[in-house]
Amino acid sequence: MTLDKMQDRLKIWAEETQTPEANRLDVTITVGNLLAAVAVLKAEGWYLSAITGLDYGHDADRMEVLYHFCFGAETLTLRVSAPHDTPSVPSICHLIPPAVVFERELAEMFGIVVVGIPNSDHLFLPDDWDNRVFPLRKDARLE
Amino acid sequence: MTLLQALFTLLIFPGGLFLIANGLIYQWVRRKLIARLQNRIGPRWFQPLADTIKLLAKEEIQPEGSNPLLFNLLPMIALAGALTAALYLPIAGLASASSFPGDLIVTLYLLSLLTICTSLAGFNSHDRFSVMGALRTLTQLFAYEAPFMFALLGPAVTAGSWEISQIAANPNWLLLTQPIGFVIALIGFMGKLELAPFDAPEAETEIVAGALTEYSGRGLALFHLSRAVELVAGLTLIAAFYLGGLSNPFDDLFKTLLLLFTLAGAQTLLTRLRITQTVGLWWRYGVLLMLAQWLVIIAGRAL
Amino acid sequence: MTQKFTLPVGPQHPALKEPGHFEFTVEGEIVTGATVRLGYAHRGIEKATEGRNWTQDIYLLERICGICSHVHALAFCLGVEQLAGVTAPPRAQAIRVLVAELERIHSHLLWLGVAAHEAGFDTLFMYAWRDRETVMDALETLTGNRVNYSANLLGGVKCDVTSASASQIYHAVDKLEERTRHYLDVVMNDDLLIQRTRGVGVMTVEQVDQMGVMGPTARASGVMRDIRCIAPYSAYVEFPIQPIVETSGDLQARFIVRVKELFESYRLIRTILDHLPDGDLKTRMPRRIKAGETISRVEAPRGELFYFIKSNGTDTPERVKVRTPTLCNLASVLTLAVGRQVADIPMILVGIDPCFSCNDRAVLLLDQSGERRWTWEKLRQYGIDFYRRQQ
Repeated sequence: MTLDKMQDRLKIWAEETQTPEANRLDVTITVGNLLAAVAVLKAEGWYLSAITGLDYGHDADRMEVLYHFCFGAETLTLRVSAPHDTPSVPSICHLIPPAVVFERELAEMFGIVVVGIPNSDHLFLPDDWDNRVFPLRKDARLE
Repeated sequence: MTLLQALFTLLIFPGGLFLIANGLIYQWVRRKLIARLQNRIGPRWFQPLADTIKLLAKEEIQPEGSNPLLFNLLPMIALAGALTAALYLPIAGLASASSFPGDLIVTLYLLSLLTICTSLAGFNSHDRFSVMGALRTLTQLFAYEAPFMFALLGPAVTAGSWEISQIAANPNWLLLTQPIGFVIALIGFMGKLELAPFDAPEAETEIVAGALTEYSGRGLALFHLSRAVELVAGLTLIAAFYLGGLSNPFDDLFKTLLLLFTLAGAQTLLTRLRITQTVGLWWRYGVLLMLAQWLVIIAGRAL
Repeated sequence: MTQKFTLPVGPQHPALKEPGHFEFTVEGEIVTGATVRLGYAHRGIEKATEGRNWTQDIYLLERICGICSHVHALAFCLGVEQLAGVTAPPRAQAIRVLVAELERIHSHLLWLGVAAHEAGFDTLFMYAWRDRETVMDALETLTGNRVNYSANLLGGVKCDVTSASASQIYHAVDKLEERTRHYLDVVMNDDLLIQRTRGVGVMTVEQVDQMGVMGPTARASGVMRDIRCIAPYSAYVEFPIQPIVETSGDLQARFIVRVKELFESYRLIRTILDHLPDGDLKTRMPRRIKAGETISRVEAPRGELFYFIKSNGTDTPERVKVRTPTLCNLASVLTLAVGRQVADIPMILVGIDPCFSCNDRAVLLLDQSGERRWTWEKLRQYGIDFYRRQQ
């Protein structure tokens, strides 16, 4: 199985590995190892399906960024944690150029700084949006 | 000719009111035909008239940076050109209101006035879509104009005259002896009116409404009217030249409607050409075919 | 040329029936650059799901898109059922696929019409949309709605196939199959249409991989990326589908792939109706869903639809992430348009079958002043008052 192979390849960076469901693998890695892991996945022919941001509220003092890669029926998720006060992840655009739309969304919705993003304009939010409000964070309330 | 007669000729028949009414009705026939061919219901008979009245009543917004004089004058010149051209034509199968040796050339130039006014209006509008549209209108003009003129000069050479009434007096259907000329005249006319597949200058999915994007009220109404008048004028000219002349109003009605059917059919069946494809089509095939037709005509006369 | 001439397409433009904003830099008729700006139909749906319970969310998510509404609800329901450890009964799964395929027919016919219109071939546009009515009527008989069918429930479906609706669907499929044969002929043999489609916007296999292109757009370039085949879900396990792949990668291939997929959908619909499993329409579903995370991938008419659902054990989701196929495919438009002519812009754009409402999902609804926010209650009341005034 490709997932087993990838588990092997990513073992050196993996802090924690989980198989929540069939055909799925979650690998938790540190921010520093993200680019190396993405490069391996890309080289093996996996494509980036989505980037999900997760906010656990102020108490948790961390946010998570999930990079979902797919290959056939299998999905591999790279989980990266970032501190809640100064969240930042490196941009993976030089490896996967179309990721820029996902990263722009991540940046404006969660306030996660994407270091080295080629285009940091708003994608969905209006240009005059209040830059201190990040709609998908838990503390942004829908009235 | 008394002053009263002259005014009647200019304002009521065949100029002015009659031509405009005729044009609007023909526009309706064209739209209705296309609608039925496309399995739609189509507009009611007074729709083009209602559109014109509505546009005339609407506020006209003049874009910033455009020359106000030109902005208002160009639609009038376009309409005046189309109406004047019709004076030399056997409208409704009756004798033309005016004629002199060489009026064919004048008429052809007057018919081009609409295209030139449209593109100038586009350039004057200072809008991105208008400028793109104006460029395309002019490009297209250069593509079809020469073959179109040659196609209409073919019957003139056969008749040995430059006077429309004399050329139209030929009772033979030149369609049979000069088929290429007829086809090119008809297709060139479609290009002139920017009908599909030559509607790249006003391709709505690319450049909104082309050169006339910024025109909203009276100006747009006048441009629409001039196009309607030009439709009648062009159909009359082609019918008179290639379909054996127009002897009476019923003859005229039959022949021009026949041409209108052909136009509507072609419009329904064909996909819009890119502007480069339009130019390529005309210069690669249109011009060469037309030259071949001319060689045949000249050879025929020499023998 | 030193000064840049930019041609804006959208947010209001006749080429796009939905709001999106593209800016193309042109030199004469040649496109030299392109950028995109979205969000004009952004409605805060991802955020809104967190404030509603699981059942309410089905109806909310179904309204992400007016055309491919069923697949959104389907992806969500399959994901939540997976989290809860519940499987919908076989008859329900078959009906889900049945509606999904009818919806695909609806969507592809709509696309065929729009694409023909962009090319300036309005006759095909009118014909395709007329035939689309047939399938919408069939959907109405089956589910009660022409769009936003609301066929899904957590743990099943709520509409059953009766003999009357089955015979209407058979009839509709027969009629459409005959029409579609004609459209395939037009798409493959009409000289002028071919002039506008063949060799336009060619995408290679490498480009598909690099840009992460999905769905029919990828399949037109010879990349078999169809979730229905590579990871069958719901009743696609029992009723497998034959993937349609073309290799030339141009616009014509995208036309052909979509039209041929229609035939595959007709076949599948007949097979399902012939062999519809008996049994219940739904199974019991807990109100609170066990804590956990799941990923649900389904094949929307436009490509792979990706749902990430996280539950925290309550009756509302913790996070629902929706990634629609258009977002992935959009990047390819910006790349492919460069170097082509202005006339090709709408064609290339429509080649991916863009759906902007799908793209734009989340944020708070602002009123005109941009200051006050509409509350859910206020919006609801506004809707009620509005319709009362209409009567």
